[in-house]
Amino acid sequence: MNDLMGLIYTGDNGDRMNELTALRAVAAVPVCSRYRVIDFLLSSLVSGGARNVGVITQKNYRSLMDHLGSGKEWDLHGKRQGLVILPPFLTADSVGVYSGLMDAIRSNQQYLRRSRERYVLVTDSGILYTADFDAMLSQHIRNGADITLMYSNDKGLLRSGSGHYMRLDEHGRVREMESSPMLPRFESVYMEAFLIRRELLIELTDRAVSRAHYHFTREVLLQAVRDESLKIYGWQNQSPVWRLDSVQAYFDCSMALLQSSVRRQLFRPDIPIWTKIRDEMPTRYAPGAQVKNSLLADGCIIEGTVENSVLFRGVRVHRGAVVRNAVIFQDGYIMEGAHVEGCILDKQVTVREGLTLSAPRTYPVVISKGTIV
Amino acid sequence: MIRKKECVAMLLAGGQGTRLGVLTRHMAKPAVPFGGKYRIIDFPLSNCTNSGIDTVGVLTQFQPLELNAYIGSGAPWDLDVSNGGVYVLPPYHTGKTGEWYRGTANAIYQNIPFIQQFDPDYVLILSGDHIYKMDYAAMLRHHIEHQADATIAVRQVPWEEASRFGIMNTDPEGRIIEFEEKPPQPKSNNASMGVYVFTWAKLRAYLERDEQDTKSSNDFGKNIIPTMLGDGCRMVAFSFNDYWKDVGTVSSLWEANMDLLTTPLPIDLHDKKWRVYARSFGSGPQFIAADAEVDDSLVTEGCEVHGCVKHSILSTGVIVEEGAQVIDSVIMPGSIIRNGAVVRRAIVAENAEIGAGAVVGGAKGDIAVVGQGVLVPEGEKVPAGTQCGQ
Repeated sequence: MNDLMGLIYTGDNGDRMNELTALRAVAAVPVCSRYRVIDFLLSSLVSGGARNVGVITQKNYRSLMDHLGSGKEWDLHGKRQGLVILPPFLTADSVGVYSGLMDAIRSNQQYLRRSRERYVLVTDSGILYTADFDAMLSQHIRNGADITLMYSNDKGLLRSGSGHYMRLDEHGRVREMESSPMLPRFESVYMEAFLIRRELLIELTDRAVSRAHYHFTREVLLQAVRDESLKIYGWQNQSPVWRLDSVQAYFDCSMALLQSSVRRQLFRPDIPIWTKIRDEMPTRYAPGAQVKNSLLADGCIIEGTVENSVLFRGVRVHRGAVVRNAVIFQDGYIMEGAHVEGCILDKQVTVREGLTLSAPRTYPVVISKGTIV
Repeated sequence: MIRKKECVAMLLAGGQGTRLGVLTRHMAKPAVPFGGKYRIIDFPLSNCTNSGIDTVGVLTQFQPLELNAYIGSGAPWDLDVSNGGVYVLPPYHTGKTGEWYRGTANAIYQNIPFIQQFDPDYVLILSGDHIYKMDYAAMLRHHIEHQADATIAVRQVPWEEASRFGIMNTDPEGRIIEFEEKPPQPKSNNASMGVYVFTWAKLRAYLERDEQDTKSSNDFGKNIIPTMLGDGCRMVAFSFNDYWKDVGTVSSLWEANMDLLTTPLPIDLHDKKWRVYARSFGSGPQFIAADAEVDDSLVTEGCEVHGCVKHSILSTGVIVEEGAQVIDSVIMPGSIIRNGAVVRRAIVAENAEIGAGAVVGGAKGDIAVVGQGVLVPEGEKVPAGTQCGQ
């Protein structure tokens, strides 16, 4: 306990999801009715005993800052430790705009040096998962590993031309690794999260950046796997995982969460997921409302029909309106007789009376924040 | 160094709540769940925060465990401030003296040192058994403007119910000239809500005097207020006619919950400017399954509905399995309604389990109650009007 700290990198994935990430980092993208992507990382870290978590921000981080606040919701508002937001910071040591994870870590090495924990879990924020970091740390220590990489065998993570794939031997040691192949040869997918001794991370970062190597995976990991200079192991995460790198991927993730079995694996009783709360009243299902196979947050008022959809807080579906196969963010307003199908409505979108918004399931459409259709 | 406060609130949360039967067997009345995600105490605490009162003493006595855990640091109500905040005040012993709270006035008397450290000008006395949204700051302004020694919140109740309340008879300026506790022949229908503002120096003197009187029952309604009136203190009424509901009995608790299913809402809990805050427990979103039917109901975080829910309130984490029916009922946090069970006109307390095919309550008759943590075995019947619990 308390020997683990977290470092979350939110910098690299600015524009993968079109309008959804135009004004916010992927870490701040709303997901599963009442959360943001980063809630799953923070909550997993806190459940794993981390009391010191740094969040490296890069671009469009206002929404993320607003969400995180003092870190109170995750019990990360302590006096000795807690949540530390690390925005770009231009000094002689820090370049502000990072060329990669190594660069970002080096720019924040003062924070790492000041921290007391022996181990640090470094994670990107483009993949949605929950993790038992306590189990990962135990395995890391048992193996005497230098670095433990989190991986998944979920086929949904496979991508042509991107991602990192690895082969493990019977002891779980990573023997081969490839980066962005057109045809991935290994089925274990690196989840962009690794565990390492804090001192070693500082040392590796310094060594890499001083040689103009900024990419952790390509320039540090691949090299170390090849020449066996570091003992690199894998730890398999059995949690459902989604790589949030396109609107379609986001939409598929939302629809998958409608399955109770998937939710039960993602929301484990031993890892409660905390988020910023809004103190909304429970959701009102008016007489005549028809709701089937849907996830809803509090504060909604449903008078119409909602099917196979994910509704965030404060959504209003008026009489005669139909919402089907859709994702509606906070404070969406679907007026009488309107039809919304196959769309993702960002926050505060209004769909006027009688209008129809429809997209095929294979090509979900995003309506930008605040739009009145 | 504690800085002076203009007004300190004291919330009387020590009542045993015996009229709520099995619902208060394991918890104090103010800790009883309400409206899906609230507890009764969320209403006065949120009123304090929304009224700008940031120093609240909560006087507890019976079954305080659940209430203490719920209040915690006071963070959900923004009452975790360093100068002020929420304090749970159980009765305590000081060497040879010390005892239980003997009455409402005695409870405040025993906490004079607590109040005195804030050196307040005024003290607001509240009770923890009503559902209402009230601006205490407006009442305090009324008190100050009228240079009153005491201000008592009153509301007009139906004449036929007036004899159940403490009735305030006022002159045309709103000054209280007479107080009658549960009068058989009421002269007015202005009932006391049990919400008082006192000028602290005045109240303190009366509390100390009342303590000397061994025959006194040390109660605000029975002793302090009549004595102050008799002495010619300046006492005014502050009328409040918005939603206010006593939830001290099983049927009134059930009714107040059902009030949240009427349109327009008699008490607006959507109001962003006057939020009613509650502690959140990190549950997931609510899921309504493909074969479920949810009609005319309130459902909150963590619920999974596979069966049929009509005109009911499901609290945090409630599960309604396939083929189960919940009608005209209140299901409190964490309870499970198993396959094919029927719950009708009932209150099911926290973490109870209604076994497959069991029947709780009925279409007619009094409200059935299933107590906290009770397992109603498969196929068992809990008839209307009965209470089942340890």
